Amino acid sequence: MATARPGWSRRAQYGLFFSFLAVIAGIVVGLVLLGLSLVAPKTFQTVRGAALDVTGPVADALHEVTATTEGVFTGAGNYWDAARQNSELKRERKIMLQRMVEAKAIVLENRQLKATLQLREHERSTIAIGRIVGSSFNSPRRFAILSVGASDGVRIGMPVRSPDGLVGRIIDAGALASRVLLVSDRANIVPARLLRGGIPVIAQGRGDGTLDVRPLEVGRNPFKRGDIIITSGTGGLYPPLVPIARIVKLDDDGAVALPLADPANTSFAIVEPQFEPAAVAAESAPSPESP
Amino acid sequence: MPRAVLTGRQRIGRDAAPYAAFVPAVTVVAASLLAAMPIISTSGWYPDFGYLVLISWRLLRADPWPAWWAAPLGLVNDLFTGYPVGFSIALWSATMLALDLVDRRTMWRDYWIEWILAAVLLAIDEWLQWRLAAVDNAGVPFLMMAPPLVISICVFPLSAWIVSRIDAWRLGR
Repeated sequence: MATARPGWSRRAQYGLFFSFLAVIAGIVVGLVLLGLSLVAPKTFQTVRGAALDVTGPVADALHEVTATTEGVFTGAGNYWDAARQNSELKRERKIMLQRMVEAKAIVLENRQLKATLQLREHERSTIAIGRIVGSSFNSPRRFAILSVGASDGVRIGMPVRSPDGLVGRIIDAGALASRVLLVSDRANIVPARLLRGGIPVIAQGRGDGTLDVRPLEVGRNPFKRGDIIITSGTGGLYPPLVPIARIVKLDDDGAVALPLADPANTSFAIVEPQFEPAAVAAESAPSPESP
Repeated sequence: MPRAVLTGRQRIGRDAAPYAAFVPAVTVVAASLLAAMPIISTSGWYPDFGYLVLISWRLLRADPWPAWWAAPLGLVNDLFTGYPVGFSIALWSATMLALDLVDRRTMWRDYWIEWILAAVLLAIDEWLQWRLAAVDNAGVPFLMMAPPLVISICVFPLSAWIVSRIDAWRLGR
């Protein structure tokens, strides 16, 4: 296939022809596999998981190096302007203490109210705790690689959160590592609500690290800059009351929000079981009454 | 006095490395493995390293590997980068075919033509990824694909230079 004219050699001519056929076969096989992975994404679960097991530990080891380097630089940066930071932190601490007392009172009240309502409380359990060690570089999709896998109990579909907020959900699980669909991916739609007022909203990724937030009810734009969005627990996949993002910009019928859990700076990510697996299963299965 | 004497390096008698035939394919796999780097990108502006190195090799030489190797190399790239399986297999095989057709047509080649060809191929790559994301319910405005495209077009000369150095090394030149 190297030259346009193989000459009079019959052997060279056949070689050229068969390598041409091989490339055509490659294209066809690729297209068939691509169609399969779009229509039935579960087909390649095992082989994708195995590939993750190769790259995950490597990324994990290299992560130590970058984390140390970054730590040195940010550590040095903290000494800069330390006096002003100190006074600012003291002031913040005073305000936080007041807030904490208020919050404790609210928790107490909440417990009493729940007891009177006899609300079923969900036990929040942890499946595994890992670190985010890598991500998709080049595609409109936003994935991250998590350093825990099926051997730690991680299964596809489980929500992932960090101490700061919601990270995403598991879409590929190898034995040692797994792949997370981040909340900033376009295909990740999270039922949510505004912390202030509890208005139900929908958060959808924009593919560039930010989220689109839309109110469920059409009407006046309910958002303000600085508003916090939390999960509502609707749909049964994500647990309720997990912070997702902060509104940074308003647009005509919604707002743009920045995730609170920045995958680049998240030290630990916690994998939790699906909030209500029965609800998720019912939603993904085709309903019998639909034609 | 021949100029080679002045360079001081032993240039005569150096032969191609025994594994020279596999070096190009190995560098492509290594580029795909860059996906294991602990870089956490929230914008996705990094180049598609595997494809970049593949077209760098193919534009430098007509025969870096038997043409059908593009399919297994693409599979490796799909698995490590998290693209839908089959995307790179089809795209990379089609690229080999397309560049063979281009080789028949072009009367002469220079650096600018190679850069333009690379830019067109990279644009096709980004456009297909964008289309595929839309099929997978992750459609974004196409303008979002412009920064990674511009960056990978700008990175191509660097990749082509590295590949040409590796090529000289593997052939013992």
